[in-house]
Amino acid sequence: MKRARRAWAELLEGFRIAFGALVGARLRTFLTTLGIVIGVSTVIAIVAIIQGLDRSFEEQIQFLGAHTLYVDRHPWIQSDNTWWMYRNRKKITVEELRAVQRESTLAVAVAPMAGTRGKISRGNIELETVNIRGTSEEYLNANGGGVQAGRFLVAGDVELARPSVVLGTDVVDRLFPDEPVAAAVGKKVLVAGRPFQVVGVLERQGQMLGMPLDNVAIMPWPTFGRIFGTQRNLTLSVAAPPGKVSELESELTPILRRARNVQPGRPDDFAFNRQDQFLKLYKQLTGALYGMAVGVGLITLIVGGIGIMNIMLVSVHERTREIGVRRALGARRSTILMQFLIESAAVAALGGAVGTAVGLGVAQLVALLSPLAAAATPSAIVFGIAFSTATGLLFGIWPAWRAANLDPVEALRYE
Amino acid sequence: MTEAPLISVENLTRHYKVGEEEVRALDGVSFDVRRGEWVAVVGQSGSGKSTLMNLIGALDTPTGGSYRINGNDVEKMSDDQLADLRNTEIGFVFQTFQLLSRSTALANVELPLVYRGLPRKERKEKAVQALESVGLGNRMHHKPNELSGGQRQRVAIARALVGNPSLLLADEPTGNLDSATGEDIIRLFGELNQRGHTILLVTHEPRLAARCPRAIRLSDGKVVADGPGAEVATIGAPPLQAPHHGAVA
Repeated sequence: MKRARRAWAELLEGFRIAFGALVGARLRTFLTTLGIVIGVSTVIAIVAIIQGLDRSFEEQIQFLGAHTLYVDRHPWIQSDNTWWMYRNRKKITVEELRAVQRESTLAVAVAPMAGTRGKISRGNIELETVNIRGTSEEYLNANGGGVQAGRFLVAGDVELARPSVVLGTDVVDRLFPDEPVAAAVGKKVLVAGRPFQVVGVLERQGQMLGMPLDNVAIMPWPTFGRIFGTQRNLTLSVAAPPGKVSELESELTPILRRARNVQPGRPDDFAFNRQDQFLKLYKQLTGALYGMAVGVGLITLIVGGIGIMNIMLVSVHERTREIGVRRALGARRSTILMQFLIESAAVAALGGAVGTAVGLGVAQLVALLSPLAAAATPSAIVFGIAFSTATGLLFGIWPAWRAANLDPVEALRYE
Repeated sequence: MTEAPLISVENLTRHYKVGEEEVRALDGVSFDVRRGEWVAVVGQSGSGKSTLMNLIGALDTPTGGSYRINGNDVEKMSDDQLADLRNTEIGFVFQTFQLLSRSTALANVELPLVYRGLPRKERKEKAVQALESVGLGNRMHHKPNELSGGQRQRVAIARALVGNPSLLLADEPTGNLDSATGEDIIRLFGELNQRGHTILLVTHEPRLAARCPRAIRLSDGKVVADGPGAEVATIGAPPLQAPHHGAVA
């Protein structure tokens, strides 16, 4: 009980002394913390920006269904110089679509996708480069998303190759300015010069890495084939039940090999693309950035820590007599050690807090002035302050140890 | 049976190594101090009195011999025990006051009690009491640089008294004061002694030693005289009013 009370009293005294020393020498405190402030604010800002990027990427990548396999001739993510390996592969055709529809037991939905860029016009408004896609009524089931007005394609549109089109919101906004979105439904537009009826409008999807996803027009794939040619490569999007994407992949591989006549022993001449591949790639990219931020942060924290150690050594030197007096009045070595550790930790914590605030401010500024989204998690704040405090403690050990081991007689006599 | 002495020093030695040479700053010193005594330790500079003060104040440990204060065998203590002993048994009064310049008089006086772990309220009560007992009840919230030399030394004395130690250990307490103020401080020591405090006063001034009921004279690290202050003060020292024309005692 008495020991605890003494420790508590000494702790409070330590904080009181630290506060007095920090406030007593404001300029020095400022200069001492500057290193830590710069280090912590840099790291906090970088981390906030990366976290913002991560979050917006994760949101954007949602347009690729989480449980969907995209079967294509080649992987969408390729390591630098391998494109030639995929160039001569056979196109993916209706054959494969039919095979998957017929043989797969796991697939929840299968939709073919063909795409090109083309003109859409209405009256004298003409849009030059709209992403035109040919698909089936299962497109939404396979890819996710929905319509906000009208309807999506139905089986009849596909079977009869009707001139029906579902538009993205960007296209609607520009073709029907100053009109509500629903007003587009039922209207006539020209796609690649041919008349189409707008049957629905897609929900807004936003952007993916700066590419607008809503500049799109979707029609039945037989209709698409008639206008743009039937010999185009298809991408199949195949939706799996939640959590069974890999099983679906195992099931589809032999189906596709058979449909494409791949001889046993030969490698697949097609590729599965998945959302998580993009996430993985992206995480690799930002992971490297993270690593760099942490590296920069560690270096500046070390530099800041050395600054703190330097100042603390000066402070111990200057207060030699005070240390002697305290020792004479009954302070133990541990008391003096704690007193100086509290002081260095307090300086560093102050620097960490200011640095965190500055870093978040910079991140907010970046978010405001650029398209980069910055988001700071509470953990980043806690880590910023905790790490700088730990730095202060670490680099305060040696000065504090020197203070604690001063000979009281020498210290009292010190001029 | 007589009461055991408060301080018992026996054959105390303290040697320093200076290069190859061994300096015997204290070379077998023995004496007792009873409770309630007021003893001066007098000697020229280099006589070993500072070394003795550091040992009695538990700031330093002896090379040999034994030192007991209030039943504690000091020479056997660890560093932490020495710190605790300084806190509870000894009140220091220094020549240069040794107050913390950034703290008020009150905070300075409270400091020993902080290291004793007393609750804040009790600390303050005792510190106020101590300051009042040295006549500084109205200067408690002043910082040292707002006080005169005499007032600073009174703060230091209050700080020495506040923990109710068994020994007041004063090292040239008037050395940095003018003679009138020094006189006040000595009178204060007299009063404190009257109230029962045991005082050990280390000084090089025979005049001061002569005021103490008892004095111990050190020379070359040895006790050369121990007796009534008025007698010891004059032994081996120039007469109090040394004539100018070169008479040497």
